[in-house]
Amino acid sequence: MSEIIDIFQSDILGQFLNPRRRLFWGYLLSAIIIALLWLNLVKKINLRRAFNTIFDPSVLLSKSSRADMICFLINRVFLIICRPVLITQIFIATAIYHFLHFQSYIPIGLFETTPVFISTILFTSCFFLIDDFSRFALHYALHRIPALWEFHKFHHSAETLTPLTVTRTHPVEAILFTLRSAIIQGSVIAIFLFLFGQQLSLFTILGVNIFVVLFHGLGSNLRHSHISVSYPEAIEKFIMSPAQHHLHHSIQKEHFDKNFGVALSIWDKMAGSFQYSSKQELTFGIGSETLEYTRTIAHMYMLPFKKVFNMRKKIFYQK
Amino acid sequence: MKYLIGSSILITTVAANLAFAADVYGPYPITLKGYDGDATNSVSYSGQVGRQLLHNSLKKAISSGAAMNVTKAYFNGSDSDLTLLDPVSSADFKVDVTNINDVSKTNLSGKAYKGTINGWPGAMTGKEVLESMIERAAQTENGYDAIHGYDYAQLVSKFAMGAVFYHQACDNYLDEKLEADNKPNNKPYKDGAYYTGKEHSWDEGFGYWGAAAHGATLSARVNYDIAKKKDMASADANGDGVVNLKSEMNYAHAYYASAYDKGGVTDYYNTITEAFIDGRQIITDANGDALSDSARTDLKAKARVICSNWEKVIAESVFKYAGSVYGDLEKLKANPGDEKLMRAHAKHWGELKGFALSLHTSGQNLGELGTRIDRLIGLGPVVNGSAVTGVDGGGNYFEMGDADADKYMVHMLKLQKLMEDEFGVTAKNNDKLAGISNISEILGAGDSAEND
Repeated sequence: MSEIIDIFQSDILGQFLNPRRRLFWGYLLSAIIIALLWLNLVKKINLRRAFNTIFDPSVLLSKSSRADMICFLINRVFLIICRPVLITQIFIATAIYHFLHFQSYIPIGLFETTPVFISTILFTSCFFLIDDFSRFALHYALHRIPALWEFHKFHHSAETLTPLTVTRTHPVEAILFTLRSAIIQGSVIAIFLFLFGQQLSLFTILGVNIFVVLFHGLGSNLRHSHISVSYPEAIEKFIMSPAQHHLHHSIQKEHFDKNFGVALSIWDKMAGSFQYSSKQELTFGIGSETLEYTRTIAHMYMLPFKKVFNMRKKIFYQK
Repeated sequence: MKYLIGSSILITTVAANLAFAADVYGPYPITLKGYDGDATNSVSYSGQVGRQLLHNSLKKAISSGAAMNVTKAYFNGSDSDLTLLDPVSSADFKVDVTNINDVSKTNLSGKAYKGTINGWPGAMTGKEVLESMIERAAQTENGYDAIHGYDYAQLVSKFAMGAVFYHQACDNYLDEKLEADNKPNNKPYKDGAYYTGKEHSWDEGFGYWGAAAHGATLSARVNYDIAKKKDMASADANGDGVVNLKSEMNYAHAYYASAYDKGGVTDYYNTITEAFIDGRQIITDANGDALSDSARTDLKAKARVICSNWEKVIAESVFKYAGSVYGDLEKLKANPGDEKLMRAHAKHWGELKGFALSLHTSGQNLGELGTRIDRLIGLGPVVNGSAVTGVDGGGNYFEMGDADADKYMVHMLKLQKLMEDEFGVTAKNNDKLAGISNISEILGAGDSAEND
C-alpha cells in the first residue's frame, strides 16, 4: 500500500517538477509574470491590484476549480493504473521502423549525409508542426463527433478557468490524448530515423524539446485562466493567443466550435473555424447543460456514457 | 599532534593495503588437513590458463591459414611443444611463456560442451561443431569462406569461449561441484594435491573466467588495455618486468566484460571477479573442514552472481554484433558486392553467431528463447541474396537463394530487443534502436490527461 502511495505522490509531484509537463512550476511562474506584465503594462492596473486579480480566490477556489482539483487527482490514479497497458511511442516507432525496412521505395538512410544541424532543424520543426496539427485535428473531432463531444463536455463544463483546468479531462479523452501522442511521436521518430539515421536529434532546452519549452514558457497556462492575454491580429492569425482559447470556452453561440488550435491558429484558418480574440466579457461552460453535468463528480464521469448510450445511431454523424 | 598524524597515515596505509589485498585473487593459504609439503599457496588454475592460451593460439592459427594438423593440435592438445601464438612478447609487452605445454599440457576438445547445438547446421554436439568448423576452416584461405560468409576464426573463437570456458565454469565447477558430496573441502581435490576439492573447483572456475588476479584493483579501461597488450606496467603486478600469463593477463569473456565496462554503464568485470574473490574467501575460511550448509548456500549465491553476469556479458556481445551486422548490411545495400564490406560482415556475423551459440552452453535450457535467438540469426549470413539453411547428407552446405537482407536487418533489431528484454543488457554497444529510445526520452512519456 505504501508503495502505491509513493507512486501516486511522485506522479503528482512530477506534474509540477518535470519541465516536460505543462504544470511545471517554472511554466506556472512564467505565466504569472506574463499576467502581471499584461495587467500592469497593457491594462494599466497597478501591481498590487494585478497580483490580487491573478490570485482572485473567487476564481481559484470556485466550485468549478475545486472540481478541477478532484478530477486532476482521480485522473492521475486512472493513468497510473492504465499506464502499463497503454501503447507507447517506442512500441509504435519500433513497429513502423521495422515495417519501413520491408518497403523498397525509399532506401534506408536516404538523407543520412545531411548535416546534423540541418536534420535537427528539420526534425524539430516537422515534429512541432505535425504534433500541433494532430492536436488540432483530435480537438476538432472531439467537438464535431457527437459521441466524443459528450466526453469533451467534461472539459468544457468548467465555469472558471485555471491552469489546472487543462487536466479536467474525461478518462476516455485521456486515452485518446495518450494514443494521439504515441502514434504521432512514434511515426515521426520512425520515419525520420529511417531517413536520417541514428544521428537524428532535436533541439532542446534543459533536455526538453525547444518548442515545448517555448510554448509553455511563453504562457500556455494562461489559455486556461481568467487573464485574457491577446496578441495583435497579425500574430493571432498564426499563433493562438490565450484570449482566443478563452473564446473557444465561451457559451455564446457565435463562439461555438471556434479556435481548436493549440500553438498555431493556421489550422483553424484552413478549417474555417478561426476567430480573433474578443474584448467582451465571456462566460464559460456548456450553457444550460453545465448544471446537469457538474451536479456531482460522479455525474461528470458517468453522464457521458449514459448520453452516448441514449444517442444510439447518432453517435458519429450528428451533433 | 605529530604522533596523531603519523598514526593516521599508518592506519590509512594499512587499510588501503587490506582493501587492495581483498581485491586480488590469491594467494590463499594451504588449508588441507594433514598436508606436510612445501606449498604455501593453495591457488591453482594453470590448466585453465593453458586452455586460454590454446584458445588464443587456435584463433590466431586459423586466421593465419595454418594447416589442419596445427589447428587441431591447439584444439586437441599435443605431446610435442605447442608454440604460443598469442600473446607473444613484443618490445612493449613481454610475456613469460613461449610453449603452452610449459603452462599446462592440456586441450580444449576434452572440455567442450557435449550437448546438441541446434543453431548450427548438422545437429552436432558443441565439441563436434568446433571440430567441424576447424576442419572446414582448413579448406579456406585464412579461415574465411567467402561463398557462405563464414569467418571460422571468429566462429571457433567465440563459440569455444562459451562451449569450453563458460560451459565448464557454470555447468560444472560452479554448479554440481558445489554440492556437499562432490569434491568436498575436507579432502584433497585429487590424491596428492595440496588444495582441497572446493578450493580447486572454485579456482578452476576463476581460471575459465579469464581475469587477471589483480584485475579488480584496476579500471575497466586498464583491464581492456592489458588484454589488448597495450599496458604492460599495469599488467606486471609483481614488477618482475614480464607479464606472467598465469595470473597477470586478461582473457576471453573477462576481456569482453572490460570492453563493455569501460563505457561506464556496467561493472561486469568487477562484479564477477569480486564474487570469485568473496567465494574463495568463504572456502578459505572453512580452514580445510567440509563446508557447512550455510557456507555452501553463500557460495552458491556467489556462483549465481558470477554466472548470471557472465551470461549478460555474452548477451551484451550478441547485442553488439547484431548491431554490427545490421550496420554492415546497411552499408552493403549502398555498395553491393564490396569485398571489404563483405569481409567485415562475415567477421561480425561470425562473432555474433559464436556468442549466440554460447548462450546455449550453460546447462540451463533457454527453451523458447533459445529457439527465437537461433531463428533470428539463422544458419548463415546473407551473402549476395543467399544464406546457408542446412547441410546435406554429404556434409555440403545448401543455401536459400532468396535470403532478404532487409528482413535480416529487422531480425537484428529484434535480436537486440530480445537481449535487452530477456537478458537485461545495459551497455548496449552498437544499439540500432538507440535513436528511438533517446528521442522518446527527450519527448517524454506519452500518458497525458492534458486537454488542449
